[in-house]
Amino acid sequence: MNLNAEHISVSLTGADIVKDISIRVENKQFVGIIGPNGCGKSTLLKSIYKVIKPQKGTVFLGDKDVLKSSARIVSKEMGVVGQFNDLSFDFTVREMVMMGRTPHKQLMEADNTQDYKIVADALERVDLTEYANRSYLTLSGGEKQRVILARAIAQEPKFLVLDEPTNHLDIKYQIQILTVVKSLNIGVLAALHDLPMAAVYCDMLYVIKDGKIIASGSPKEVLTKKLIRQVYEIDCEIYTNPITGNLAIAYLPLYS
Amino acid sequence: MSPSHNSKQKQIPQKGQGIAPKRSVFSIIFILLISAVVISVILSVSIGQVSIPFHQSFQILVNHITDGKFGSIGQISDGMYTDIIWQIRFPRVLLAMVMGAGLALCGTVMQASVQNPLADPYILGISSGAALGATFSIMLGFSVGGLLGELGVASWAFIGALGAAALVLGLASIGGKTSSVKLVLAGTVINALCNAFSNFIIYFAKNSDGIRSVSFWTMGSLASAEWSTLPLISAVVIAAIIFFLFQSRVMNTMLMGEETAITLGVNLNFYRRLYMILSSVVTGVLVSTCGIIGFVGLIVPHIVRSAVGSDHKRLIPTSILFGSLFMIWTDIFARTIVPNGELPVGIVTSLLGAPVFMYMLIKKSYGFGGR
Repeated sequence: MNLNAEHISVSLTGADIVKDISIRVENKQFVGIIGPNGCGKSTLLKSIYKVIKPQKGTVFLGDKDVLKSSARIVSKEMGVVGQFNDLSFDFTVREMVMMGRTPHKQLMEADNTQDYKIVADALERVDLTEYANRSYLTLSGGEKQRVILARAIAQEPKFLVLDEPTNHLDIKYQIQILTVVKSLNIGVLAALHDLPMAAVYCDMLYVIKDGKIIASGSPKEVLTKKLIRQVYEIDCEIYTNPITGNLAIAYLPLYS
Repeated sequence: MSPSHNSKQKQIPQKGQGIAPKRSVFSIIFILLISAVVISVILSVSIGQVSIPFHQSFQILVNHITDGKFGSIGQISDGMYTDIIWQIRFPRVLLAMVMGAGLALCGTVMQASVQNPLADPYILGISSGAALGATFSIMLGFSVGGLLGELGVASWAFIGALGAAALVLGLASIGGKTSSVKLVLAGTVINALCNAFSNFIIYFAKNSDGIRSVSFWTMGSLASAEWSTLPLISAVVIAAIIFFLFQSRVMNTMLMGEETAITLGVNLNFYRRLYMILSSVVTGVLVSTCGIIGFVGLIVPHIVRSAVGSDHKRLIPTSILFGSLFMIWTDIFARTIVPNGELPVGIVTSLLGAPVFMYMLIKKSYGFGGR
């Protein structure tokens, strides 16, 4: 399913955070959004998944008008893995993942064997099968994030939005989470902060600074010395890693 | 089962060991609670200043409930027993059940609505609104539309509860979204305001009889139980129970927080207001019938959560049953602890509730919010 966001503008408490941004994700494409802290990545994503109402713009998922449809209808097709997932109440991992079935269930409809199977499959995908009965609040950051991803998978979305899903995670979990997401083979829009990682997993990148898109294209086209200097205000060398063949970035310290 | 010496270090559950029991365990807890409630009802009608043998009270209950078809009361010569049980104690224990179930349900719903495990009708200011209404009526002698006496106080209490709820919701909605923090803060503000007004009225009325009835009212009591008080309160509580049993999925999603709820297709703003309004109506009816009985709505969901987990599919029915059970026993306690008299049951619930709550705060294995 493709996503088409056009001319999105968001201002929060008087400040323009997102300024007329248009983004397109083709069917089954993995699209990354990169940019420095506070550039408006999260706000843009939030307006796409209906948490913030943009002042201007339209968002279409397939031929569905996301901003004019109810949260319930959108949630049947769009899954979201957000940044903050701390709770005041404890649930088991299985209960957390089962909540992903919410959009598909009627009021009093009980969880059936199919739901349990979907939840078990989702847990399997993120390698948490043995954690099903554990308490969510006792898990580590990486484990929590995988539970949230499993919940989004149990939602059986046709499109996935990720807001810095690998923030604060060890490298193993970063790779694990992005690999699982990639393997879903659905359209993905993800805000990422690790540039080499984004280069490996994304088919296309949008670069945002001060609420505006300043570059877009394949990772090779976008991630240049000049652009990184312009966006992140830091010098670097970009090369092809001789072992992996992937794009690699060596950041230069500020004092050199 | 005695705790092992290293139990204090075992904060993090091992693999495969969960916070929520398996389905079969939950069924057992549920069946045990139902049996406990039934047995407690029979015990409750037998215990009191006139002690009645259990088998006789059981027979009298069965006989009356089945309208004389079962259970002979022929050999129970003393008709006084029948009157005590059927006219005094049975309506009272039923009222206790309804009260306990209703308060526990309101507590559970409010805790979910504001995503705060410390919420209950008292903290959110609804009870003090009711108290203000009652104080107003008692001290200034107002009554609604010519209705006299107790009904007047009850109506004013109900109006006070709804007024406070409306103010809390209104205050929390200023500037757009109603967040859980705003709701709790607004509740605290309204709580303080209502208490101040109540005290203001009491101070200036200088009416010592009135002061006594106000203070009796704010301590809560089930002594007013009669068959005629039951239909309204039961209908309201049963309707609320049926409605909220169907809402467990939404309430679970609520606990995930605003953003996640939206991404799971639940418009939290709408449900939060709906739940607050409904639980305020129920609280208003409960408080206007029995006065303020504190801590039940706060503590019952907590105890139940530590046994069956936070999933509302289990939490709501279990809380309702446990609330009933809790209220039946605190009432038995309240009317037997002082010879030839009775304590207001609100004092008993607070005396029992506060230490239980302290224990749960200290016991760290139970997640309270934050960690």
